[in-house]
Amino acid sequence: MIKILLATLLLGVALQANEDASKWLRPAEVPQPKNNKMTPERIELGKLLYFDTRLSANDTISCATCHHPLSGWTDLNPAPKAVGFEGRVGPRNSPVVLNTAYQNRQFWDGRARTLEQQALGPIEADVEMNMPLTTLIPKLNKIKGYQKLFKKAYPKSKGIITKEYLAKAIASFERTVVSTIAPFDKYIMGDSNAMSKKAQAGFELFRGKALCSTCHDGFNFSDGSFHNIGLNDGELKGKELGRYNVKARAAWYGVFKTPTLRDIVKSAPYMHDGSVKSLTEATHICGNGGRFIHNVKNKSTFIMDNELSRSEISKITTFLHALEGPNMKLHIPTKFPQ
Amino acid sequence: MNTLLKTLLLSLTLALSANAADHIIDQKGKTFVPSSITVKVGDTITFKNSDAFAHNAYTDDEANEFDTGMQSSSTNKTVTVKEAGTFSIECAIHPNMLLEVTAE
Repeated sequence: MIKILLATLLLGVALQANEDASKWLRPAEVPQPKNNKMTPERIELGKLLYFDTRLSANDTISCATCHHPLSGWTDLNPAPKAVGFEGRVGPRNSPVVLNTAYQNRQFWDGRARTLEQQALGPIEADVEMNMPLTTLIPKLNKIKGYQKLFKKAYPKSKGIITKEYLAKAIASFERTVVSTIAPFDKYIMGDSNAMSKKAQAGFELFRGKALCSTCHDGFNFSDGSFHNIGLNDGELKGKELGRYNVKARAAWYGVFKTPTLRDIVKSAPYMHDGSVKSLTEATHICGNGGRFIHNVKNKSTFIMDNELSRSEISKITTFLHALEGPNMKLHIPTKFPQ
Repeated sequence: MNTLLKTLLLSLTLALSANAADHIIDQKGKTFVPSSITVKVGDTITFKNSDAFAHNAYTDDEANEFDTGMQSSSTNKTVTVKEAGTFSIECAIHPNMLLEVTAE
């Protein structure tokens, strides 16, 4: 507690007087729902399920295939859009699982509120794991090793696996996928040498002229907001309509969730459609008015031409590199319950 | 007689309107302030926007459904509570913004 107070005090000196310095600090706890508190048994079970390819229709794809720890918790395949069951290409770039515990909307279009609601979607999606739950649940119930683990993790289940317990277990593991200490965190805790002068200048631009922190705000560098950043012009169709597909609300036309910037250097390509290859390009788009300036329906008012120079964009991307922490310690399972 | 009935109805409506309260909710720092309110059916809720950017309050509650649309900085939007119940109001842009309403 004293450390946090001290860090906030030091930070307060470094930042502008009117900025709430504590917002950049890691929350004391990872949020978790009352009806699915994290326990070692639930986390371990969830991890096994997350990496188990038997959850797909042809035993070749797991959650980790498209959200892998070795590629920043996104696709191992660097293709713009997710490649799933039998090479089928999905409609969107695989979102990172990192820090999803801190979000109150899941998926690019926010169609799920919780990780429990999100967890089962990709399993059933025909372009992802293509495994109907009506097939998967009986399949898992035939694996005695899983029955035992579910009984230990969720005693009320009595070892009978249901889709609800399956979702809870996977979500429990996903809540452990949180960012590690990056140079920025050391800087924000008072170590002024933890970031280069260029990165510090980038941070000033990030929360100043470039207006990045209007949306990429707080510890997770996302305020969870939804925006149309002008990647496409004209009338939008199909999945490009974004959250408008969840409900045809005017404000949701072509909008997608603001992603975290933690470990962003590890998860190229960027944006919901994977159409942006570099952080330089991403910063240019967001900071200088969008890929398309005109004829963009419902473009976010936050996306404006801030006339960022090449030098300024370079400083911001240098700062973004300072948000990269070491990979979290994780034993990737190679043996699974039988 | 018809005129008398109309006058009575108008008086009743005016009396009810006079009793209706207006509850001010500020949208400030990407939060609703306050974050919960208790209102009466017929009351109004006025959303201020003290942030420098737009908000968009809405609820999908069937009985009280509304959508203010985009609301620019330093503007007000007012909605009327139609039926009793409890419901949540969110911002369509910033879903972390949540207002719990109890309508009696």
